[in-house]
Amino acid sequence: MASNAEGNGALVPFSGDSSAVYPLHHGLAPPISRLSISWSHGNTLRLSLFAGAAAKVVEVKVNGEDSEIPDAQWRRIAYGSVAPFALLQSQRSSISSLLKTPSPYHSDWWEHVLQYSKEIGSLLAGSKMHSSPIIEDPKVLVKTDEKPTCLQAAWELIEIFYVDKQSQTWLPERLVDWLADYDSLFTSTHETIHGKLVDFQKELGNIQVIEDDPRYWDLLSSALSVGWLDVVVRMLRLHGSYQQDQLSTRELENGLVEAVAVLISKMPRFCPGSAGKLGDCYKSKPEFIKAWEKWRSQITKLDRSPFWIQCDNQHTREGLRNLLQITLGNTESLCMATCYWIELYISHFLYIRPFTMGIESMYNLAEKCIQLKPRSSTHRLTGLMIGILEENTEVVLAECSREFGPWLVAHAVELLTAGSEQSEIILHEERYNLGGISIVELHRLAYAQILSSHALTWQIAPIYLTSCMKQGMGLLENLLYRQSVQHNDGLLKNIEICRLYELDHISSNIMKIAGVYHWKHGHKGTGVFWLQQAQDTICLDRIAQQLFDSVGKSISDESFKQWEGMIELLGSESNPAGGLEFLHKYRDFKKSLKKVSGGKSTDAARQAVGSLILLMKNPSTPQRFWLPLLHDSLKLLNWQDCPLLSVSETNLLLNKLQELSLAKLCPHYIEPSLPPNALSSIRLALATNLGRAILDE
Amino acid sequence: MAATQRFPQYKYVDAVRWLPLQSPFNRFAVVALFDFDTESSSIQIHSFNPNPLSFDPQFSWPSPSRISSLKTSHFLHNSLIVASTSSGSLHFLFADPSDATLRSALSLPDSALHSLPASSLDLMDAAVDCVTAGEDGRVNLVNVGDSNLSYRRLFDSGGLVSYTAVRWASPMEFATGGYGFSLQWWDQRKPGGPVSQFKGDRDKKLTSGIVHSIDIHPSRKHTCLAGGSLGTVFAWDLRWQQQPIILSGAGAGAGAGNAAVQSISESEVWEVQYDRCIKSNTSSTRILPSMICSEDGILGVIEQGEEPIELLAEPCAINSFDIDRHNPSDVICSLEWEAILFLFYS
Repeated sequence: MASNAEGNGALVPFSGDSSAVYPLHHGLAPPISRLSISWSHGNTLRLSLFAGAAAKVVEVKVNGEDSEIPDAQWRRIAYGSVAPFALLQSQRSSISSLLKTPSPYHSDWWEHVLQYSKEIGSLLAGSKMHSSPIIEDPKVLVKTDEKPTCLQAAWELIEIFYVDKQSQTWLPERLVDWLADYDSLFTSTHETIHGKLVDFQKELGNIQVIEDDPRYWDLLSSALSVGWLDVVVRMLRLHGSYQQDQLSTRELENGLVEAVAVLISKMPRFCPGSAGKLGDCYKSKPEFIKAWEKWRSQITKLDRSPFWIQCDNQHTREGLRNLLQITLGNTESLCMATCYWIELYISHFLYIRPFTMGIESMYNLAEKCIQLKPRSSTHRLTGLMIGILEENTEVVLAECSREFGPWLVAHAVELLTAGSEQSEIILHEERYNLGGISIVELHRLAYAQILSSHALTWQIAPIYLTSCMKQGMGLLENLLYRQSVQHNDGLLKNIEICRLYELDHISSNIMKIAGVYHWKHGHKGTGVFWLQQAQDTICLDRIAQQLFDSVGKSISDESFKQWEGMIELLGSESNPAGGLEFLHKYRDFKKSLKKVSGGKSTDAARQAVGSLILLMKNPSTPQRFWLPLLHDSLKLLNWQDCPLLSVSETNLLLNKLQELSLAKLCPHYIEPSLPPNALSSIRLALATNLGRAILDE
Repeated sequence: MAATQRFPQYKYVDAVRWLPLQSPFNRFAVVALFDFDTESSSIQIHSFNPNPLSFDPQFSWPSPSRISSLKTSHFLHNSLIVASTSSGSLHFLFADPSDATLRSALSLPDSALHSLPASSLDLMDAAVDCVTAGEDGRVNLVNVGDSNLSYRRLFDSGGLVSYTAVRWASPMEFATGGYGFSLQWWDQRKPGGPVSQFKGDRDKKLTSGIVHSIDIHPSRKHTCLAGGSLGTVFAWDLRWQQQPIILSGAGAGAGAGNAAVQSISESEVWEVQYDRCIKSNTSSTRILPSMICSEDGILGVIEQGEEPIELLAEPCAINSFDIDRHNPSDVICSLEWEAILFLFYS
């Protein structure tokens, strides 16, 4: 329920750093005497308000803070990360058991983590639109249709620094690629090269002579400074001297533009080659150095060329020479060309220090760049980057948790510990202040709590809970107990999870709860089924006892049908309770007795007598039912046409009466509720029958 | 060989069905969705194109509550979609077969047919005759009038017996399934109860569970194929009522004659349908091959006396599937993780 109107008696939430007042319409007259707040399903808060005699329950939906990724998208990420996470956990445990050590670092563990990281990375990238046109528009400088997320950028950043050992040598180039992919994200808080390019691209159609526009040259040097060679070359080719009608008059100028474009497209890069990337890639350091020096000398040669003097277009001349200054690593030009410290930082890697250095000097360089480009506002990715460069795992985790939420922390922990035994120890050691659990477990539990709170994701929470050694199983049991038993599908999914984790005691308790729920709601068949599945003999016996209560009483046809159905239900149990055999026989007797009632068929009556004798002979027939049974059969004993019981049968029944009169002396004897003259009328009927039977025989 | 393609829905998929084809160029599928964020349900008709692959919503009908059972058919010049909801209502949607636009809708109100959330329904082939059976123990026959729906209650167990699946066998007969692996055979000319019934117990090598789905092949109307808990799939032949043929199941394998049975899954088999793709010798006395989907993410084919074939092993449950009867190698599946998956196999 969204409420935004000012109301009387508004609720004021706790004022923290970012205090906000959300007025809430509840329609109760103030003063509110009591307020109780509890979590409902998902992100919904349930507020129960009491004012005098009136009360009201209001549900308030609390929106997630991350507006970048909508809830449904978060669920997609949650689903998709289950399989990679589970695989990695099983790999970890199999390697640990193989090596008989708790930490798996003796092998090429990072390769498993890298595979995991790549899978999660492609999940975060989502389904890329594969319908992008093949014919490229020359006026498109940067693509604006693909919108990456900060989460994706954060994941990749962590992967670059912590996991990917193979490309550690090419770390600077990976950072260049990283910025190329995610520079647009910083547009929200900073001016960025990407943002400027997008603005310029929008106006491109209106600009007549592009090389006269100072923004053209500024953007060229900016794009070059961060290594977006394809953008630079594409922009250079927009230069007016390429136009057919001007080519003849501006031949020299065009030659210079083209020379710069060719040189830039041949820039040596220290990285394994990848398709669609401009520049010449070198995998080995000596080869790269050789090529780099040769390229630099070509640039220096061009810079000192006499043709510049002959070029009469001042914009072109100055613009192109500034580009050359950037490629030569002129610090001032780089600083001018870039917008904020990360862009400057990247340009340093490209043109000043193209080799990997120790992480400490990388941090120093970052500090220098921050000094040159002071931060006016911080972006959530910069905090993460500084934490990584500071080599402080706990800061990195805190940043992940604060800025990106529990999903990232729970999953990124695997990356943080991939390469360093030290951070493995920090993150996996049990901490007194966390109640004896490790940081890893704490974050997994937090994430599992989020999953548990939503009807669509609770089923994947067990995967994370079972990877938590200390508290996981307890919380899992709690979670399973909490699920509703009302709907079959949900109940069966719940029981399936119990089966997977061998929690038989939980599943039998859940089945008991379901059985009692259905029984109470009158779904007798379902109730008995679940009680039987749970082997809840106590409840089943109690139900059977209720059936005994009807023995010897007159019941309507409809309730007899119900009663009969219940015996049928209980009888399907493979190991019937002791009394059921009696109930089955009693049901047969009652059935034949019903046929007799009203009718005068002697055959039916004989059948009923047969059932009665069977019942009375059977040792499982409880003594307390003897008298009611005989009382039920009075009509048979007094049968008009002929005596239905033989002499021996009558004697059997008389003996039973004798036994009963002895049993009456016992202290535990319960007097059946029958009319006061019941016993004497039975005696009389039996005696009459005996007399008639003797005469007959 | 099988190719798969998945389409995230960002909503829970309650049921999926192909819409019987009227022209080979326009193919449609019906999807019942539930949006947890807005708590709203809908039945959507999506157009399906295999090449280039696309699956786009064409039409959406807001449902008053969640769909518990969905069936499609065609009748005269209409495509017919019938759905029962968790509030006990029933809806008939008549659509244009060429472009799947909705022509009309008829409904029976909440709680008219069933008092409990879960009910199952079936539609007769090329007809509008509909039978519903619910966990509340009621069995109803629904008739379509000119502008309204009417129903006849064939039976009410008063909660003593619950029905979880129903399937037509012939214009007069149908079968239901329920708890304890029970199956009932009904004849609408004989009200008052089922004409035959079967109940699984240990003597019949069936441990206890629930039947979730039934199929009856038009060429073998005396055999009822049932799928349910513990990976169980069995066939009940009316001519040998006390001897079910167990095709898969955790409780299987112990009895004589069922010794060679392998289990394709150990968890709930949510749906079972005869596999219309595999051409089997119809004169054979063996049970025809069938396809199942399960809670542990399996979509597979079971054939009596053969090893089961696993077509899909997903990390999440496959809650329902449907085989396109005109293109029997195309299967649509609903996944627990808010997605629809297509399987094209040959």
